[in-house]
Amino acid sequence: MSITPLRPRTGPNIPDGPAVRLVTPNVPDSAGVLDDNARFRDVVLPYIDDAYRLARWLTGNGTDAEDVVQDASLRAFRAIRDYAGGNPRAWLLSIVRNTAYSWLHKNRPATIVSVDDLEAVELAHVKPDERRDDTPEGSLIAKVDAEQLRAAIAKLPAPFRETLVLRDIEGLDYREIAETTEVPIGTVMSRLARARRRLLEMLRQDD
Amino acid sequence: MSHPKSDDSSVLLVHAYLDGELDPANALSVAQQMGQEPALAAEAERVKELQKLIHDRLPREPAPPGLRARIESSVGGAQRTKPSWRALAASVAVAAVVASGSTWLVVDSQQQPTQIAELLVADHIRGLMAPDPVDVVSSDRHTVKPWFNGRIPNSPRVVDLAKDDFPLIGGRVDVLGRTPVSTLVYRRAKHLISLTAVPADSAFGFNGGPRSINGYNVVRWTENGVSYWAVSDLEAKELETFAQLFRTSRNEL
Repeated sequence: MSITPLRPRTGPNIPDGPAVRLVTPNVPDSAGVLDDNARFRDVVLPYIDDAYRLARWLTGNGTDAEDVVQDASLRAFRAIRDYAGGNPRAWLLSIVRNTAYSWLHKNRPATIVSVDDLEAVELAHVKPDERRDDTPEGSLIAKVDAEQLRAAIAKLPAPFRETLVLRDIEGLDYREIAETTEVPIGTVMSRLARARRRLLEMLRQDD
Repeated sequence: MSHPKSDDSSVLLVHAYLDGELDPANALSVAQQMGQEPALAAEAERVKELQKLIHDRLPREPAPPGLRARIESSVGGAQRTKPSWRALAASVAVAAVVASGSTWLVVDSQQQPTQIAELLVADHIRGLMAPDPVDVVSSDRHTVKPWFNGRIPNSPRVVDLAKDDFPLIGGRVDVLGRTPVSTLVYRRAKHLISLTAVPADSAFGFNGGPRSINGYNVVRWTENGVSYWAVSDLEAKELETFAQLFRTSRNEL
C-alpha cells in the first residue's frame, strides 16, 4: 500500500450561499417526485442519528446540531437526484459537514481553523515518541471520565476532531471518511494519527 | 515495504492495522514490525487504550425525539406545491364537483350542523386544490399560533403531535358564513387533516358522532367552549385516533 504525500488540499470546505429553508425544488413530473421521496426515505432518513452526532461534535451543542441537521436534510432532499448511488451515509454526512461549517462560518467565524494553521499541523512529522518509555498508558487514562473525554475531543482542531469522531465514535472506514471530509485517504490517515496523539496528550495532562 | 523503518509511514500503518484497513500481507508485515520495535508496539497499545476509553465512555446517542418527524414534515412542506400534490388533489376533484352544488351556500344564523360539516369539507377540498393548503407553513406550533393573533378573535389551541406521526403542516383562516375561523393542517402519511376550531356558542354548535361526506370523514368534539371539526380522507378510525390524541395532548404552547 502506498501513502500519499501528507500535503493538505484544502481547509474545511465552506460552501457559499445562505442556509436554505423550505425551498421548493423544481421538479418536472409527479413520478419523479415520488422517486425523490422514496430515495429520501432510503438514503437520508436511516442516517439521521449519525448526522445528528456529527453535527453535534462539529457545532459543539445539541440545539445548533438540530438546526444543522434539518438544514442539511433539506439540502439533501434538493440534491437527491445528484446522489449517484455510492455510500449513502458518507453522502449525507458530507452534506451535514458542509452545512455545519457553513453555519459555523456565519455564526462563529472565530472557531474555523485557518488553512495556514492547518498546514502547520498537517506538515509536522509524526514519529514514534522516543522520549517516552514504551509501557502502555492505560492505567494513566483509565480514570478519565466521559466529561473530560468529551471536552478534550472538543478542543481538537476541526479537521482532527471530525476525522477522529468519524472513525473512533461513528466507526466509518478510511474510505468513507475520505469521502465525507473530501480529502485523500493519506490525509485521513495522518489526521487520524495526529488526532489520537493529541487527544492522548491532553488526557494525560488532565490526569 | 519489506523492511520499513520507524518513520511516518510505519506509525500510520500501525493505526491502519488497528483499524482493520490493511490487506493480509501488509497486516502481517506491520505485525512483524511491531514485534521488533517496542516504540511501535507501545503506539499500538496507546491507541487501543484510547479506543477502548472512547467506546466505554461515549456511547452513541440517538438524535433527540422529534427531529426525524420535523425533517419529514419540513420536506413534506417543501413538496407542497409540486405536481405530486396536484396529483393528490386531482383524485379529489370529482368529489369537489359533486359536493360543490350543496356547499357553496351562504351560512346564516340558522345554519345546520350538517351543512357546516359540508362547508368544512369544501374548505378542506379547496385547501387540497389550492397551490398551498395552508397560509402559514410551519411544523412549529410556536410559529403557527402567533400567526393567528390579529387574524381571528381567539387564537386556537395548537399541539405538537409529530411524535405520534401527525406532523403539523401549518394553518389557514377559513370563513364560515361571516365568521373567520382557524384551521390547522396536520398530515398523516399522504393524507391531510384540516382541523377547524369554531366557537361553540355560535350558531354552529352541535353534538354528534363521526360522519362521512362525499368520501371525507368528519369527526367533531367540543372542548372548553370550542367545537373542533376534523376533516380528512383518512379512515374514520385513524381520524378518531387523531382527535383523541389532540384532545389529550399536553404538548401545547
